[in-house]
Amino acid sequence: MVVLKENNLLNSLSQMGVGLGAKNQAFELLKGLEFPTRKTEDWRYTSVNKILKKKYIQFNEAEKVGLSNEIVPSLDAYNIVLVNGVYSKELSDLNFPDEIVVDTFPKALEEHVSLIHNTFNGIAKNNEEVFTALNTSYFHEGVFIHIPKKVKLEKSIHVIHVNTKSNVVSNVRLLIVADEFSEVGVVQSFASVNAMECLTNSVTEVFVKENAKVVIDKVQSEEPKNNLICTVQVNQKANSTFKINTATVSGDFVRNGVNIDVDGENCTSEMNGLYMQKGIQHVDNHTKISHLKPNCTSFELYKGVLSDKSTGVFNGKVIVAVDAQKIEAYQQNKNILLSREATMNAKPELEIFADDVKCSHGTTTGQFDEEAIFYLQTRGISKESAKKLLIEAFADEVIDKVDSEELRIWIKEKLD
Amino acid sequence: MSSILKSKIKMLKVKNLHASVGDKAILKGLNIEVKAGEIHAVMGPNGSGKSTLSAVLAGRDEYEVTAGEVDYLGKELLELNPEERSWEGMFLAFQYPVEIPGVSNINFLKTAINERRKYFEQDPIAAKDFLKMVKEKSALVELSDKLKNRSVNVGFSGGEKKRNEIFQMAMLEPKLSILDETDSGLDIDALRIVAHGVNTLKSKDNATIVITHYQRLLDYIIPDFVHVLYDGRIIKTGGKELALELEEKGYDWLTKEEA
Repeated sequence: MVVLKENNLLNSLSQMGVGLGAKNQAFELLKGLEFPTRKTEDWRYTSVNKILKKKYIQFNEAEKVGLSNEIVPSLDAYNIVLVNGVYSKELSDLNFPDEIVVDTFPKALEEHVSLIHNTFNGIAKNNEEVFTALNTSYFHEGVFIHIPKKVKLEKSIHVIHVNTKSNVVSNVRLLIVADEFSEVGVVQSFASVNAMECLTNSVTEVFVKENAKVVIDKVQSEEPKNNLICTVQVNQKANSTFKINTATVSGDFVRNGVNIDVDGENCTSEMNGLYMQKGIQHVDNHTKISHLKPNCTSFELYKGVLSDKSTGVFNGKVIVAVDAQKIEAYQQNKNILLSREATMNAKPELEIFADDVKCSHGTTTGQFDEEAIFYLQTRGISKESAKKLLIEAFADEVIDKVDSEELRIWIKEKLD
Repeated sequence: MSSILKSKIKMLKVKNLHASVGDKAILKGLNIEVKAGEIHAVMGPNGSGKSTLSAVLAGRDEYEVTAGEVDYLGKELLELNPEERSWEGMFLAFQYPVEIPGVSNINFLKTAINERRKYFEQDPIAAKDFLKMVKEKSALVELSDKLKNRSVNVGFSGGEKKRNEIFQMAMLEPKLSILDETDSGLDIDALRIVAHGVNTLKSKDNATIVITHYQRLLDYIIPDFVHVLYDGRIIKTGGKELALELEEKGYDWLTKEEA
C-alpha cells in the first residue's frame, strides 16, 4: 500500500475555505498516491524533487499590485485577477455581461449549486495525477465561467494569475462550462512581479458541449525562478470545437498537461504550443487526446527554441478508440537548440485501435540553418539579426494560431 | 581610351590568393584585378575553384584563406565579415539560392536595406520609397507580386530563384556583383530576363564578375575580360573572344599547356 510521503510542499499547505465533498474525497485519494520520480513514465524527463523540497507560504488575502503590459498582456478583455492565488476584487472587472456567469471559488460552489453539480471535479483525474489531487484537496480560490446556450461572447475573459511575493504556493482552479452553441475565448496568464521560488499548481476543467466553441490561450511569463504546473482537462461533445494555445516565454520549471476527451462526433480539436526557455529552465508539455467517437479531426503543433542549458520535454499521446473510425489526427513537434548544452526530449505516442484513420506525427530537433544565416549575411543582415529573423520565422507558425492580434504582438515582443 | 582607363576606380585586387577547405587546397595563387565599369567572366572546368572564389570573396566560414591579399575599394576585404562586405557594396548571386521558410522576401529586403542604412548612420527607408523601389526593381526581372511577398525562395522554380537573386541585387545597388553560375538551370527565356537585369544595372561606377562554366550567358552579358580558372589559378586572360574559343575548343588545349 502506497502512502504519500511527507515533504515540504505538503507541509506548507493547509486546507482552507469550504468543506466540500470533492475536496475531502480528493484528500483521501491523495493519501494513497505518490509524487512522481524519474521512474514514473510520464515524468521520466522532469524531476519534481526541487519543487517538493521547497518551503512555501499560502496566502488568503489579495495583495495590491500594479499590472503593466510588461508583466501581463493588456488585452481588450474582461479581466479577473488572482494575486498570490487569491481573488482580487480591486483589480478585476465586475461588469461582465448579464447573460454569463463569472464567479469565484469557493463562493461559486454555494451560489451555483445546480450548474456546478455535474461539472466541477467531474473530469479532473484526481486518481491518476497527484498534482491534480493536490489541487482538488487544497484549492481555495479560482474562477467559474458559465456560458449559457447560444451565447457568443465577443470579448475574451482574461484570467490573470500573478505572484507578488516569493515562496508563494497556490492551488488555483478554473472551471469553464460552455453550453450548446455557445462561444467563448479565455486567456489564462501566469506571471509574477518581484517574486521568486513560487509554485502555482493550476487545474482547469473545460466542458465544451454540443456545437460549442472554446478557445484558451495560456500565456506563461513567470519570472525566471518560478515554478508552474498547469493541467487542463477537456471534455468535448458532438460538433464542438476546442483550441488551446500555450506560450511559455519564461519560468524555471513549467509542466503543462493538456488532456482532451473527444466524446462526440464531428469535433475539431487543436493544441498548439511555443516554448522559449533559457538558462537552466525546464519546460515539459504533455498532451493527450483521446478520440472516443468517429469523424473527428485533431491538429497539434508544438515548437520550441531552447537556449543555454535549458531542457524541454514534449510528449504527445494520440489515442483512437476501437470504434472511432474516420479520425484525422495530425501532430508535429519541432525544436531549435541554440546551444550545445540545451536538451530536448521529444516523444510522440500513437495508440490506434480503429482501422480507418489518418494519423501522422513528426518531430525534429536541430540547430540553426547555417546556410540561411550566411545567405542573409551576404544581403547585409548581421549574424545576430539573421538569427533573430529565423527564430521569429520559426515561432510565427505557432504564434499565428493565436486569434487575437494584440496577444500575438505581445508574444512576439517576448521573443527577444 | 587610355585616359578613360586611368580614371577608372580600382575595385578589387586579388593577389596570390590561396584558400582551402579542411586539408584540401583549392585556390593556389589566384590573381585578378577588377575596375569600375568592367565586366569580368571567370570560366573554368568543374573543380577548378570557381565556387570557392565566390565563397571566399563573400566571406563564407568554411573556407580558410591560407595566403594572399584581397583589396576591395582600399579595404582589406578578408578582415570584413559577410554583412560588412555587403554594406560596402559587394553582392553575391548564389548558384543555389537558399530557401528560408517564414521570412518574407519583402521584409527580409527591408531589413537588409535598413541594416545597411544604419551602418552608414542613415534613418530607415521610408515605406513609400521602399515600395516604389520594389515596384521598379521587380519589374526589371519580371518578378510577380505573389513571389515578392512569399517566403524567401520557398516554392520558387529554378528560374524564379535566379530572377529573385537579380531582384535583390537591384534592390541593394551593389558596387561589385559576383554572379556564381547564375546561368545554371535556366531556360533561354529566364536567361534573357536575368541578363537584361544585369545589363540594365551596369554602370560606369559598378563592376560585375560572372562566374560560369558555359559561354552561353556571355552571349547576353558581354564581358570586357575573360579569365580561365584552372587548378586554383588564372591560367589565361583575354577579351570576349576567348570565351568563344573555349566554347569551340573546350578547356583541354589550355589545361594541357598548363600541365
